[in-house]
Amino acid sequence: MAREFPRLPEELPTSAVRYVGKEVRRVEDPALVSGSAPFIDNLQLPGMLHCAILRSPHAHARVLKVDASAAEALEGVVAVLTPDDVKRWANAHVTSPPGWGTHCIAIDKVIYVGEPVAAVAATSRHVAEDAIELIDVDYEVLPAVASAPAAIAPDAPVLFEEHGTNVIQKRVYTWGEVDRVFREADHVVTASFRWNRCGANPTETFGCVCQWDLTDNSLVCHGSYQVPGFWGLARSFSLNLPANKVKVVSHPMGGGFGGKGGARGTDIAALLSRKAGGLPVKYIEDRMECLLAGGSQSWDRRYEASLALKADGTITGFDVKLLDDQGATTETYGTISVAKPLAAFTGNYRIEAARYDTTLVVTNRAPVAPYRGYGPPPHFLVLENLVDMAARKLALDPADIRRRNYIRPEQFPYTIPSGNEYDSGDYEAVLDKVLKLADYAALRKEQAAARAEGRLVGISVVNTVEPGVFDWNAYATVGVQGVGVPEGARVSFDVLGNITIVVGFNLQGQGQFTVAAQVAADYFGVDITSVKVTTAATDATPPHFGQGGSRVGVAITGAVLGACQKLEADFKRVVGHIMGGLPPDAIELMDGRLRVKANPAMGMTVAEVAGTMLGRSDLLPPGMEPNPTATSVWTAPGRNMPDEEGRCRSYLTAATATHVVMVEVDRGTGHTSILKYFIVDDCGTRLNPASVEGQLQGAVAQGVGAALLEEYVYDDGANPLVTTFVDYLMPSIHEVPITRRDHIVTPSPVTPLGAKGCGEGAMHTTPAAITCAINDALAPLGIEMTETPATAQRVWMRLKEVGAAR
Amino acid sequence: MTTRQRTRVTVNGRVYEREVEPRVTLADFLRHDLHLGGTHVGCEHGICGVCTVLIDGLPARSCLTLAVQADGMEVTTIEGLRDPETGKLHPVQQAFVDAHGLQCGFCTPAFIMSTVELLRDNPDPDDEAIKEALGGNLCRCTGYETIIASVRLAARRLREQSGPA
Ligand code: FES
Ligand code: FES
Repeated sequence: MAREFPRLPEELPTSAVRYVGKEVRRVEDPALVSGSAPFIDNLQLPGMLHCAILRSPHAHARVLKVDASAAEALEGVVAVLTPDDVKRWANAHVTSPPGWGTHCIAIDKVIYVGEPVAAVAATSRHVAEDAIELIDVDYEVLPAVASAPAAIAPDAPVLFEEHGTNVIQKRVYTWGEVDRVFREADHVVTASFRWNRCGANPTETFGCVCQWDLTDNSLVCHGSYQVPGFWGLARSFSLNLPANKVKVVSHPMGGGFGGKGGARGTDIAALLSRKAGGLPVKYIEDRMECLLAGGSQSWDRRYEASLALKADGTITGFDVKLLDDQGATTETYGTISVAKPLAAFTGNYRIEAARYDTTLVVTNRAPVAPYRGYGPPPHFLVLENLVDMAARKLALDPADIRRRNYIRPEQFPYTIPSGNEYDSGDYEAVLDKVLKLADYAALRKEQAAARAEGRLVGISVVNTVEPGVFDWNAYATVGVQGVGVPEGARVSFDVLGNITIVVGFNLQGQGQFTVAAQVAADYFGVDITSVKVTTAATDATPPHFGQGGSRVGVAITGAVLGACQKLEADFKRVVGHIMGGLPPDAIELMDGRLRVKANPAMGMTVAEVAGTMLGRSDLLPPGMEPNPTATSVWTAPGRNMPDEEGRCRSYLTAATATHVVMVEVDRGTGHTSILKYFIVDDCGTRLNPASVEGQLQGAVAQGVGAALLEEYVYDDGANPLVTTFVDYLMPSIHEVPITRRDHIVTPSPVTPLGAKGCGEGAMHTTPAAITCAINDALAPLGIEMTETPATAQRVWMRLKEVGAAR
Repeated sequence: MTTRQRTRVTVNGRVYEREVEPRVTLADFLRHDLHLGGTHVGCEHGICGVCTVLIDGLPARSCLTLAVQADGMEVTTIEGLRDPETGKLHPVQQAFVDAHGLQCGFCTPAFIMSTVELLRDNPDPDDEAIKEALGGNLCRCTGYETIIASVRLAARRLREQSGPA
């Protein structure tokens, strides 16, 4: 039976909520500002060796010979991992869909630049790097597939010969009568879009320390792992170990934003440890490895898409054709990003019919990995730009065309054509609030004045829905099987009444330890400083998933509340018994005291109850264990199997935001300046408002990068041209606008305390909002930018084509 | 590459004398030889600023500095800021906590070191001066808003602490 949770902070057993929903100083911060947080590279184990990886210089080549004898002879080298070892000891990586992966180091051929071909464990990283230069590899270079269109060309070289094709999956989802609505439309707007690769690039790269125990063939992996149990399970498959013999210890992470973890790096370090007689082996990916092949590339997409509209601006159909370049393998779960738009395909709008025609291919580029937002950021760039194009065609204001198509508040819960159910929202209220915040009418006047001077100033009003709290069914259609997403917490009291919460994930920046502490502190009416939140290794923690899909805030709230409720039930039994054999329901919890309902002056504090339970077994009701500890594992209710068109209730919550952005494009350079930026969002209850605001502004920064700066460029031979931060341009303090923000709160009716997933936040909206603003600026010239990033160079070239560059 | 060079560096007021390979960066020396893990590395090629420490009081990228280059110099790292006895945070550290100037915290020691240096010379920086001083530090999490707020809060507290000028 589903547990009943407090639906709002006010329903917690306290007369005055002190922490939940209030701006709380994060419990994780003192260690972080002191430099004492144990990031993985700070871990040193006795006898530890250091790993360096030799990587392929070719995009596609047969590996004819790997001769490691000179490396093995170098002083300080303890083990060299070669294709032969890997063939003997490891399996190809589990991928989604299955069968499109390779081993941790290339066995017969390399399929992207940067793919590992051998690795060394030595007494220092320097020696290990010296040694890999001594490894002699013979290659037979093969023709490379440099792009998605090249991958589906008739005579294309094939990466996976056993498949005979580079097409991983081709699938058309049809929801409703798409052909009819397009036939009957008064207007159809069509455009092509190109989203070039960008990616997560947390400031800390991946790292791990792996130790193979040769006695019982078990493995311990310490590292920056964002979903520890999942990484452990995958290692048990790739390294031929029973799952309970792989222990993953997750360390605090210097950001994640997607696939923090490293299948190849972990397997390589683990096998080197095995070969080195069980000495621990550390592998720290360097930035160039990260940029080259480190799971920091995402979204390599080509779209053709259309909107069908009635004369009055009502949108009736949305037709999307996507050609998606997954890079060389599907080992990093990049396919997820193609499936996720199903959770919010039609955005904030009532659109009766939609189609999603997807082709996923492999190429000789690096494998793509998940990145904040997973799939919707490019998808919304397409949808929102089409809406603006329609507005221009129909001479409607972008705010008005959106308003008339919104799902209305009374229509929630609302099932979108692609099957997901939105829990709640009030899109018009968000829109009104941001238009007011921005003084939209004044902005338009300012724009008119600027245009009269010949300046290219543009404004956008863009909204999106952020699907939050993903579940196992969301990615089944791209072959991700068995990703259960339980989230557990173990809450225990010690004999003096201090609380410890054990969770299965570690810090990554979103402040979720603080959320757990806030919830428990308010539930039991204690000071937040008496709550300690800690992570445990996979062999000691409750079932968990961890960060991913905007879910941990909601999920950990549910888990902590569930455990608190169980403890409360036990405490009531104890107190009832002590108070003369009263039944548990004669007792209530309020402000940290278990008191007799009929006589509230009689009662015990939670600390007294816990102390009694641990210290005085004679006072406990018969049969009760002396254990003020409870574990609860939360999962979203009401999830169902996808139907034949992929429709299911996948994401539990639907947050929303509307951004109003004003930009100016410089005719002389093509440079876009962001002049003003306003956001109003609604993610339900804001558990720690400061953290929510941080997620929003931080995601704006990443959105600015994606829209204007960041791009992994490849040449015609699939050679990466971007391998340092000199050419991969991360937004600095000079590029990121300080946004003006406000919010409304429509609590989720389906989550504990009413919070909605909000971690991915503005990443959904910012790239669309900036490009829409640029296109508004360019509208008088009759041109549009439909390729990201809209770098100065790209925009200037476009201006030049129409004679508008200065 | 095993020739070693005798190097004497003062770090957070303590003198360390070591035989160091010339190719070892100051960042690696601090982190791995001296076990001062609070100085992080993000790129090791001079762009991200995550490795920023103060050398003779000025911000420097410890990934681009060789340990042997720091011979005879005074280095201050994040570990040198809080009160060693009480553990009380330096006002700049406390301001970053109070104004939510961090998320993952990986970039934070570097931002704090740059801020300490900024506020030493300019007790009341405006946004432009803050951006100028922190323009060489990347943060992937915060979008910089709360970092600027933290610097301003730290500046105000330090001014109050030192009394009216
Ligand atoms: S690590 Fe030194 S600048 Fe990036
Ligand atoms: S707080 Fe994560 S990089 Fe700055």
